[in-house]
Amino acid sequence: MKYTDVFVEMVHGVGILFAGHFTCEGLIDDLVYQDLHERIDRTRFSDPLEDSGFQYGFNSTYLKKVVSYWRNTFDWKQQVAVLNKYPHFKTKIEGLDVHFIHVRPKHRGDQRVLPLMMVHGWPGSFYEFYKILPLLTQNHDGVSFEVVIPSIPGYGFSEAPHKKGFNSLAAARIFLTLMERLGFSQFYLQGGDWGSLITTNMAQMRPDRVKGLHLNMCMSTRGFKVLLSMMIGPYLPFLVGFSREDVRRLFPFFEKNVWEMLKESGYLHIQATKPDTAGRGLNDSPVGLAAYLLEKFSTWTHKRNRDLEDGGLERKFSLDDLLTNVMIYWTTGSIISSMRFYKENLGSNPNDRIDARTGIFVPTGLAAFPQELLHCPRSWAQIRYRNIVSYTFMPQGGHFPALEEPRLLAADVIQFAKKVEEL
Amino acid sequence: MFTAVLVALVIGGLIIFLVQRRRNQVLKTEDGWWGPGAPPGAEEDITVRSFKVTTSDEELEDLYRRIDQTRPVSSLEDSQFHYGFNSHYLQRVVSYWRNDFDWRRQVDKLNQYPHFKTSIEGIDVHYVHVKPKRVPEGTSAIPLIMVHGWPGSFYEFYGLIPLLTEPSDPGDLVFEVVCPSIPGYGFSEAPRKKGFDSVCAARIFHKLMKRLGFQQFYAHGGDWGWLVTTNMAQLEPKTVKGLHVNFAPPSKPGLQMVLSIMLGRRFPKLFGFTDMDVERLYPCMEKLVVESIKESGYMHIQATKPDTAGRGLNDSPVGLAAYILEKFSTWTDHDFRNLDDGGLTRKFSLDDLLTNVMIYWTSGCIISSMRFYKENFGKGLDAPHAKIPVYVPTGFACFPNELMHTPKLWVKQKYRNLVSFSPMQRGGHFAAMEEPQLMAEDIQKFTKTVEKKMKQ
Repeated sequence: MKYTDVFVEMVHGVGILFAGHFTCEGLIDDLVYQDLHERIDRTRFSDPLEDSGFQYGFNSTYLKKVVSYWRNTFDWKQQVAVLNKYPHFKTKIEGLDVHFIHVRPKHRGDQRVLPLMMVHGWPGSFYEFYKILPLLTQNHDGVSFEVVIPSIPGYGFSEAPHKKGFNSLAAARIFLTLMERLGFSQFYLQGGDWGSLITTNMAQMRPDRVKGLHLNMCMSTRGFKVLLSMMIGPYLPFLVGFSREDVRRLFPFFEKNVWEMLKESGYLHIQATKPDTAGRGLNDSPVGLAAYLLEKFSTWTHKRNRDLEDGGLERKFSLDDLLTNVMIYWTTGSIISSMRFYKENLGSNPNDRIDARTGIFVPTGLAAFPQELLHCPRSWAQIRYRNIVSYTFMPQGGHFPALEEPRLLAADVIQFAKKVEEL
Repeated sequence: MFTAVLVALVIGGLIIFLVQRRRNQVLKTEDGWWGPGAPPGAEEDITVRSFKVTTSDEELEDLYRRIDQTRPVSSLEDSQFHYGFNSHYLQRVVSYWRNDFDWRRQVDKLNQYPHFKTSIEGIDVHYVHVKPKRVPEGTSAIPLIMVHGWPGSFYEFYGLIPLLTEPSDPGDLVFEVVCPSIPGYGFSEAPRKKGFDSVCAARIFHKLMKRLGFQQFYAHGGDWGWLVTTNMAQLEPKTVKGLHVNFAPPSKPGLQMVLSIMLGRRFPKLFGFTDMDVERLYPCMEKLVVESIKESGYMHIQATKPDTAGRGLNDSPVGLAAYILEKFSTWTDHDFRNLDDGGLTRKFSLDDLLTNVMIYWTSGCIISSMRFYKENFGKGLDAPHAKIPVYVPTGFACFPNELMHTPKLWVKQKYRNLVSFSPMQRGGHFAAMEEPQLMAEDIQKFTKTVEKKMKQ
């Protein structure tokens, strides 16, 4: 082994001393199983309106099918074994137990092993990355990744904050500390949903440590340039830096962006104002929780799913994967704390916050998926992300690409990292 | 700048006058069918059946088991009611509910007035019908329909009913009261088909009143009840003798309203703004926009994904209680958000609050109650009824802590025959339940005024 490898091994060893090994075995407690089944059996179902698909939210008739699978076929013990196939750890940072998985590629050899942290969002979890992990830890022409996937405090197995004010800046700071504690002086970041904001914050706070930032969702800023491009864009796209694909995804603007956003942001509005109320019932009703979370996996994967009786849920995901994610929220009772993150970040005007006014100068790669909630063209992203090294129009996929299109996302992350390494 | 505004005013006013010639327009509607499947060929069943609220040991056992299996989550330190219903106080409410609240006694209380059900347009409509015991010589009881809102129910009016049907003052009018449940709420059956909005509810309530033999009647409402009774006045202005509301948010900001917002602080007298108006409207950004955004999350999710939003609440009584009672706290006084206990028992008793929650729980109607938001807002704010003014004599009771403050000028924009506008001393959104005495007084005052005008 080379000297650097030994050094890395030593540092990792020390890191593990501070980090406690953690497995998900406590979750298979028979009592947990029994309690879940009892609650499912006691669900008070009601009928959906005739012919309403998923337009009023999760269709109750299809929900019964999902719940029947959950009750009778879904094997949580088996899924916990799946969860445990990667090593889990916990470590205390700023008073909270932070959970993460840490996966190293199998054969080191001549590969360049790039450290990479991937951050999930809501209503996802570290589990979203289980399909893309094996693709990233493989050798791709001499490049592979060593992956760290944490749970945001308040989500899944990470302890929830007890005090007000835990926003994405706090999460970013904690994750930077985590990477430092694990001995990484430089690393890549990947994120979508809240993960996109947290990794962006990390890149803003310590650009010296972040080699590259890859996002599959980017929030566009507002401002005059954006407004102008909105007005001129449909007619003279090239003048404002729009490609044909941008035009196709953005316009008609009002309908696609404003109206659609209003239709789909009710959850955001209530979670950003009354999270404790919104999540209260969901922590007692597993079926309610499943409906609430899985509605997003339906609608945010493709908008046409709203018109389908079954929400198109099983077209891109397996019920096992979807329910495993739900179980992570259920067994940890973290739905309320996960919702509070919305209030902490959006409670006061987010555009006034310092990170909204700061640029990002680390090499950035953007993967624009066609069914993402809001399309962000390169010209808008460039307003804040000043060093865009790659911008890819992905051929298919929605808001959860790591789970839905792992190959496509992995390919884009790899080509982005390779570009950065050559810089 | 001022001259520019003035010129714009004049030109704008002219245009509006020329374009808007909708005098005395009546809202149109068609019959619907809300039961399952296609309407049967046979004649509709128009019988009126007596109904009694009942409970059972199973119902209570199930409730208690679910309460005992709540998985509590602590609120953040020092957060009071700012993140929603505070979990520590919730535990106290739930403990009362589990150990002290006597549902059987409350059911008896509910049954003190006669309940009925009748089938209209394919669904069973529930209502309470209270006839006065004594009517003064030479007069007849004045028929009055009172419509509730969300997350309320017919029970909100229980404190008000005796004040109207058995007034202590011999000079007061005596009312005969009908309190229905909006279809999808409480003991009224829920519609099975899409599209059941406030106009449909209004039409159904007209049919109900006709079926009960009333040719003319008064109407009172707050929250959704405001919109349903307003639609009733728009559908059949000759049938609704008078309309009394305590909530009247403008649906379309007209020119007058916009101007008054812009200039009202500087020139209140120009728009008839009182000191209270100015205090409640300005600073306008904070009091109108920010406050609305802070408090309308529930409306947003219910108007878009009601089936998802209500799903967990139908299994978790504690979740349901938190969701509903949060409104009884915050909508009674916004300052209650700063209190650890949300000020909930300052104006209401836990017995009354939990009885209302039990109506939602035992009927399992939380999802269908939420769908009403989507049906009404789903297509935007441009419904036909929003463009038609109301010419029926109207009385507005302006409570100081109502969710949206509407000065006289704004109310008159829609209610062209405003007979009384009463600034009330105290009270919030659930005024009928919170201040029944004040509400009864204003209904008396309003009705007397209308009756007198009619005799002239």
